[in-house]
Amino acid sequence: MNLNYEHLPVIIVALLLLAAFLEPIVYRHKKSWAAPLVIASMAFFALSSLYLMAAVNYHGPFNYYLGGWAPPFGIELEIDYLAVFLLLTFSVIGLIAIVYGLQDLKHGLKDEVLGWYFTLYLLLMASMAGISVTNDLFNMYVFVEISAISACAIISIKESRECIEASLKYLILSTLGSGCILLATAMLYMITGHLNIGYLNDVLPRVMSHYPNNILISLGFFVVGYGVKAALFPLHVWLPDAHTAAPSPSSAVLSGLVIKVYAAAFLKVFLKAYPREIFLEIPVMEIVLFLSVLAILYGSIVAMVQEDIKKMLAYSSIAQIGYVFLGFSLMGQRAVAGGLLHIFNHAMMKSMLFLAAGIIIYSTGIRRIRDMKGLGVKLPLTMGAFTIGALSMVGIPGTNGFISKWQLALGALDLGRPIIVVVILLSSLLNCLYYMPIVINAFFGVKGEPELEIGKVPGVMLYSILFLGFGIIFFGIYPAPLLAFLQKTVTAIL
Amino acid sequence: MWEGDELLGMYWQAIIPLWVVLFPIFMTPAIFILSKRSEKLRDGLSVLTAVITFFSVASLYPFVMEGKTIEYTLFQILPELGVTVRIDILSFCLAILSSFVWMMATIYSLDYMKPEHGKNRYYPVLIFTLGATLGIFFAGDFFTLYVFFELMSLVSYVLVIHEETPTALKAGYKYLIMTIIGGLALFFAIIATFELAGSVSLSKGVLVSKPSTLAFFAFVCYLIGFGMKAGMFPLHVWLPEAHPVAPSPASALLSGIMLKTGAYGMLRVLFYVFNIEVVQSARWDLLVAVLAVITILLGSAVALTQFDLKRRLAYSSIGQMGYVLLGMILFTEQGLVGDIFHIFSHAFMKSTLFLAAGAIIWKTGLRNINDLAGIGRKMPFTMGAFTIAALAMIGIPPLNGFLSKWTLSLGALEAGLPIYVVILLISSLLNGLYYLPIIIAAFFGGEEQEHAHGEAQHVEAGINLRGEATAKMVIPMVILGLGCFFLGLFPSNIAYELSLKAAVFLFRGGM
Amino acid sequence: MIDIEVLSKLFNNYYYFAAIILFIIGFHTMLTHANLIKKIIGMNIMETAAFLIFVSIGYIEGGRAPILDEGFDQIYMNPLPQALILTGIVVAVSVTAYALSLIIKLYQHYGTVDADEIARIRSYKP
Repeated sequence: MNLNYEHLPVIIVALLLLAAFLEPIVYRHKKSWAAPLVIASMAFFALSSLYLMAAVNYHGPFNYYLGGWAPPFGIELEIDYLAVFLLLTFSVIGLIAIVYGLQDLKHGLKDEVLGWYFTLYLLLMASMAGISVTNDLFNMYVFVEISAISACAIISIKESRECIEASLKYLILSTLGSGCILLATAMLYMITGHLNIGYLNDVLPRVMSHYPNNILISLGFFVVGYGVKAALFPLHVWLPDAHTAAPSPSSAVLSGLVIKVYAAAFLKVFLKAYPREIFLEIPVMEIVLFLSVLAILYGSIVAMVQEDIKKMLAYSSIAQIGYVFLGFSLMGQRAVAGGLLHIFNHAMMKSMLFLAAGIIIYSTGIRRIRDMKGLGVKLPLTMGAFTIGALSMVGIPGTNGFISKWQLALGALDLGRPIIVVVILLSSLLNCLYYMPIVINAFFGVKGEPELEIGKVPGVMLYSILFLGFGIIFFGIYPAPLLAFLQKTVTAIL
Repeated sequence: MWEGDELLGMYWQAIIPLWVVLFPIFMTPAIFILSKRSEKLRDGLSVLTAVITFFSVASLYPFVMEGKTIEYTLFQILPELGVTVRIDILSFCLAILSSFVWMMATIYSLDYMKPEHGKNRYYPVLIFTLGATLGIFFAGDFFTLYVFFELMSLVSYVLVIHEETPTALKAGYKYLIMTIIGGLALFFAIIATFELAGSVSLSKGVLVSKPSTLAFFAFVCYLIGFGMKAGMFPLHVWLPEAHPVAPSPASALLSGIMLKTGAYGMLRVLFYVFNIEVVQSARWDLLVAVLAVITILLGSAVALTQFDLKRRLAYSSIGQMGYVLLGMILFTEQGLVGDIFHIFSHAFMKSTLFLAAGAIIWKTGLRNINDLAGIGRKMPFTMGAFTIAALAMIGIPPLNGFLSKWTLSLGALEAGLPIYVVILLISSLLNGLYYLPIIIAAFFGGEEQEHAHGEAQHVEAGINLRGEATAKMVIPMVILGLGCFFLGLFPSNIAYELSLKAAVFLFRGGM
Repeated sequence: MIDIEVLSKLFNNYYYFAAIILFIIGFHTMLTHANLIKKIIGMNIMETAAFLIFVSIGYIEGGRAPILDEGFDQIYMNPLPQALILTGIVVAVSVTAYALSLIIKLYQHYGTVDADEIARIRSYKP
């Protein structure tokens, strides 16, 4: 260990925070440096995540004591397979979204708030990185709050009526969720005296028979808390407005990453902190499973009737987060791996779709699906990428959406629940019903040149969605290394 | 199978399936790029690709006739699941048939598509679909088969809606939704098979040898998935919409070849996933039989009520696919021979009919059967080919339709189910009722009429309206029509030999 | 009697009891009131309840601050929850400030802080 990569997780979080607070100053005094700074920080994030992944894959997971204080007193970071997997997902998609965003935001935001946008973006990334690596429930709560505020602010930064309203709604519900998470954490601390996930896992089996009520309350509040934040049905009400109103790169990050980070936090709390026996006595996972099934169906059905493309994508996200929770709540090896895989895959698909929608809005101003007739002739590459994303959503073989569906379905069958497979298939069909008409309308049925005003699409925006589109195909054809890695992740968790 | 010394000797044959799948797929972008430069090059390259593909497939002939099979995995997509290639006699049968008909249809397209729009899209898609279809036949496991099946189904959507009229778009949407439903059913079936057997390979013998609830659902889902493609009742609803709206060469391929992929899939399911004992002991074959009989009668009966030429042909296809489905669950060797031979026959007959119908529409703009009186005098070759194929459909002796029906009937008798023979006869009668009037009217009825409406359409394109369609259209049609004749003339022709070998092969366990 | 047992449990843990009541009040206010300011107040009450629970976990009757002098046998309170809750309070304050600023913006747009009213105004828009 000649290179001290152990410090890297802390450095990532600290550096992102530092960059976040430098950003407004830089923006005020040296405007041209602001964008390179945010890109450089995100690139550093991505590269060090990659390095961490390689290191963890090679040397195995490790724990890091913040400030040298060992647990139970100090804060512990656990950099296991799960953490590096999440870090890599967030950093790469985050980097692509902001590279895209540099162009789009100049168009969509007022000039003076751009610096603040970067601040919020980096804060969001820092908090997501923090949630991924921390092994301490209270620390997690703090990061969750940071991410909640920055996620709300990233929506309200446009200061239009819809944005303010959406972000206030989001903020109120999100605070509700945070309150629940804090209360649940308190319940666990009350009976165990620990906040460290590892210690909780040790102590809880011993005390659970003495304090069944505390356990029950904490489970309930955690489900509600993370459920609200991850927009698990029926706690999703804030999501459609919020993700629709935000600027496109924000929508991409919010839908692609931010709701996933809470799902991952849910996974950490439920499968790493609580011992497995609890779920035999208290069927909380069954409830989550039921909710996720409802989420899948509800999200897909409501998405069908949407007129605004971003709103449709947002409802689709509600369904897709249902897949993630479905995988987690089944608690089988393959199912959890499928849920994690879907975090990654959906992050790629949905951010790509939102970014593609962003290009459409950027260059034509069209938001309504009905008006998109003939768009494929004018924006062939954008709509081509959109088509790839749509096919992946439906789960056509050759795209990564197929792989996660396969994994989830097989996971459900492993546990003898073919009905779950039927739900997954039904939802694929519903996805087809609302994604395909967009694609068809865009490419076919208009003869000659469609009458659309098309602005110029900056190359950077196009390249970023093409890159994601390539990723969708690549991981659809060659998911083997990713699956092998997730196999290790899941074995470590379960 | 790879085995020691034979390894080197077999090497080049092993490459061919890969080559014939990838070659058209890789030519697609080339054709697309060339189409911007020159129409001639685009057309030439498309035909060349189809021809090379056909001859590549044909070069496997001596190899498969020795009764050898090759199977190998290219790379893994998921653990235990990869892209697997397999050559055996059954896949060769279907592949040679498809690539031949495809070649004819591509040549036919050259002139037929001239007045159409969107040719730069048509040719690449046509060639790509060829690759995907061959991929289905050369797939070594159900996973690979499924991947190519979806690929073919989705890409052929573009062929269906080529005209981009509202009708075409509506039909295409129906097609797309049904395709996705079928695909999802297949997904379930394959994943259930994988769960039950731990593998979906074609070389592991019978995968599911015990009937269970999950196995039954898997079977039903296979039936939905492949039956949808094969136009089985009640999943046929897309077929009579989608086939008529496509450009005629594409209709010929959709009806002649792509329907067969469903039948091929069912054959593989019946002989590789389950086996005769499982299906028969659990009485699942009854389900298929009932649906097949309904399909036969419904297809033939509804065809009678259609007056759009291509719609009538499409309904006729439904009926004919019923024969194929029925043939495979007779579970006798004779029945299976008839079944596979009928796949050949129907491909030849129906593509001839659709190409002839296309020539008529192209030439005169007439689609309604009642307007076709006297057309045979104007377009003798087209109607000649049409007549041969239609008579074969009815099952008039020396034609191939007769031979396949004869063999199927023998199979049914061998299985002790004479009722199926009656059904075949009823259906033949119905076929006669809806094909003969067209032929009679075309040659003997009606006075020479001026079809001003048809002329106006082609005046700009500068095509001679008098008499026959162009040679590039007539020749493929006539070749396919003569195929109907020669493949029925002797019961020892190539197609029959292949069917026989394939049936024996399947009955011996298909390894 | 079971009732007395429950009552005495409640009495002994009155701070938890108070916290739960506060939590419910806050929750209720937050979800049912249309006035946005009241919603924010409810939010604060709810968070205070969570803080109270957390702090009271570390509370010991008669305990004192954990400053070590001569004797080691003194009863002292667990300082960790208090330290944590300081962080929690900071978070809550910033959330409140941010929420209030959003409400001011909304007031500028709509001239009201009533959520129902805002919804009504919005629905008038084409």
